[in-house]
Amino acid sequence: MNAELRKKALHYFFEKIVEPLGFKFTLDVELMNFLLDQEVILENKHGIPFCPCQPLRHKRERDMQIVCPCIPFHRKHFDEIKRCWCGLFVHKDVLDPDTLPQLPPKDVNHA
Amino acid sequence: MKKVSMYTLSTCPWCRKTKNYFTQHNIPFTYIDYDLADEATQSRILDELDAAGATGFPFVKIDDEFIVGYLPDRYAKAIGI
Amino acid sequence: MNWIYVLDDAALLEGRMVPAYPIGVNVLLARVEGVVFAVSGRCAHMACPLFTGKLDGYTITCPCHDWQYDVRTGKFLDAPEIGLTNYSTKSEDGKVFVSLK
Repeated sequence: MNAELRKKALHYFFEKIVEPLGFKFTLDVELMNFLLDQEVILENKHGIPFCPCQPLRHKRERDMQIVCPCIPFHRKHFDEIKRCWCGLFVHKDVLDPDTLPQLPPKDVNHA
Repeated sequence: MKKVSMYTLSTCPWCRKTKNYFTQHNIPFTYIDYDLADEATQSRILDELDAAGATGFPFVKIDDEFIVGYLPDRYAKAIGI
Repeated sequence: MNWIYVLDDAALLEGRMVPAYPIGVNVLLARVEGVVFAVSGRCAHMACPLFTGKLDGYTITCPCHDWQYDVRTGKFLDAPEIGLTNYSTKSEDGKVFVSLK
């Protein structure tokens, strides 16, 4: 399938999933395009648009939790850092995604 | 000079930014792209990630310290620049 | 309620799912504990057809990426903000009807 068309399809599917969860696509269009490009490549390779920034463990139960958009399975962490790990999605109130540090769960300030 | 190594993914933009950071600061480093590594190497990397509480890449090791995520300020502090 | 006939009651066995297309709408029918439930037939994630997935108790699992829903409400188990459309059903004179409203 044409990669640009598939990117548009993924954008269409994902937008309606993340919206009710309080997220939107990142305003960094270059990053968004790069990540969607990678997801199309991953989908061509594995049949599934996995997260381009998390490891495939070759265990179905774990790997299904990093299929994009993976927000439902990592919600507490992503709500805390106001973005998903790869940064494709950010909280709706985020205007400058570059200011958000990519903090792992262990480093999130729980204060 | 501190020893810098990292685990990355070939598909991850933050991993590219991390490699660029060290390149731009003229700090030599080694890396393994997890997704391009063999099964045994992947298994070893996953063990390290899990032990460190990391869920994603990049995973940067600076001497004995490890930093998960693209965090230039922390890289600078760990290197001492 | 505008009830639309979808299939004969005997055609849907306990613990099974079947697709139906009343006036062209993709609906998934499932019978659990004797009761027939109806939800939209495509996964909220990437529109995979759910009837080829699994039904375990009241839980539907999508065949594509294992997204799970409660067949009674249509709600996605990992985030209640997401879900399938939930349709009313009734059985009458050996026939199952769905209301799309």
